[in-house]
Amino acid sequence: MPQFFLNKRLIILLVSIIILVALIGFSLRDREQLTWPEQFLKDTTGFVQHILAKPTGYITGFFEDVKGLTNTYEENKELKKRLDELAQLEVDVQLLAKENAELREMLDKQDSLRNFKPIHATVIARNADRWEELLIINKGKTNGIEKNMAVVTANGLIGKIKSTQQFTSTVQLLSAMDPTNRISAEILRGDEESIYGTIEGYDEKRELLKLKRIPNDAKIEKGQKVVTSGMGGIFPAGLPIGEVVDVEPDEFGLNQTAYVKPGANLYDIRNVIVVEREMIQPGKNDDAGEEEEDR
Amino acid sequence: MKKYLLLLLFLFLFVFESIFIEFLPLKMFGNEVILVPRFLMIAILFFTIFGDVRQGIIAGFIIGLLFDVVYTGVIGIYLVFFPLIAFLVSKVMKVLQTNVVILTFVSILAIALLEFAVYEMNSLIKITNMEFLMFLKKRLLPTMILNLILTVIIGYPLKRFFEKYKKEVMKD
Repeated sequence: MPQFFLNKRLIILLVSIIILVALIGFSLRDREQLTWPEQFLKDTTGFVQHILAKPTGYITGFFEDVKGLTNTYEENKELKKRLDELAQLEVDVQLLAKENAELREMLDKQDSLRNFKPIHATVIARNADRWEELLIINKGKTNGIEKNMAVVTANGLIGKIKSTQQFTSTVQLLSAMDPTNRISAEILRGDEESIYGTIEGYDEKRELLKLKRIPNDAKIEKGQKVVTSGMGGIFPAGLPIGEVVDVEPDEFGLNQTAYVKPGANLYDIRNVIVVEREMIQPGKNDDAGEEEEDR
Repeated sequence: MKKYLLLLLFLFLFVFESIFIEFLPLKMFGNEVILVPRFLMIAILFFTIFGDVRQGIIAGFIIGLLFDVVYTGVIGIYLVFFPLIAFLVSKVMKVLQTNVVILTFVSILAIALLEFAVYEMNSLIKITNMEFLMFLKKRLLPTMILNLILTVIIGYPLKRFFEKYKKEVMKD
């Protein structure tokens, strides 16, 4: 069929389908780093986004402030009440921190999974097609951000770093449907021992996180707090995630699944903190080990 | 002169699309509906029809690539669908009368087609597991309504701008 091959449009169509499949396959691979053209494009647009995001932030911030003024009186009354409690709490925290430090010194155990270094960043853009929820923030490799670091707001964990460029990075939210998105978590039960599980997946209809692999006999109540356990190797321990809303036995009846309401609002995020764990990460000290072996 | 303005316009719309989601009162509607502004698609279609078909398709290709790299991280989806839809609309508009009102309605249908195609692709590569009915109710219809409003607002200025651009290019 010579005519078939002479049809230029058809050939263009076929070639573009092949390119499409190849490119999608290439970009879906679990890549350690983006290619430099991608990084360059993201950084360049990040610069423009940064410039435009600031004034719009001020304008919308102004309107929100005006809206906030209307219920200032009520809020003030409530806050004053809290302030008295806060003073007491602050003293308690200081005393406890001091005691903790002393006890650690006695045990000769300096570093803890809880220690982390915060890096403050501002959201400059959001994924415009809203399929996968991604944020772009204005800090990158030059600020010490690396792949897989935890990202939190004042109210709790919101996601992790998906990729980094020199001056910007992309954050993947907890609500993303990514099977590799697993977080080792811990349910705090007051005086009793904590229960451990992993956060796997997000229930889109109920807008709740699924905390799976909880032992069948563990007693969990609504309202119990969930924090990261630090056992995953990348996140530090003790970052708040949210609280338990509902508990169900899983499909085989061997484990339980708890539904966790995220503490942070995943739809309204302006400022974030990227968390760098201070304790050595399991994957990272491999180089040091190899060096020693060489000798 | 107009050439640089054209570049600036597309760059501005590219960034503005994300700012629109981040800052403007879409949160008012809560999480019940997903509203997606498609300024870029609208601009590409108007450029294809009132400007130049060939340049419009090339613009769709470049903007699609940029969109994939910067926003979605999956290269290939918008890279193909932006120019493909621009091409299809240029064919459809040959049959229909070329004016703003008709192009507005064709654009809305094109955006629906784009949403549907991207939904199918994303289901295929498992970025989303949204059910089809939920997609229709939560995403497609609200998005079509939002984009109808947006096209009514920016359609006429875009038409004027692209017609002037065409005149200037023809002179050269």
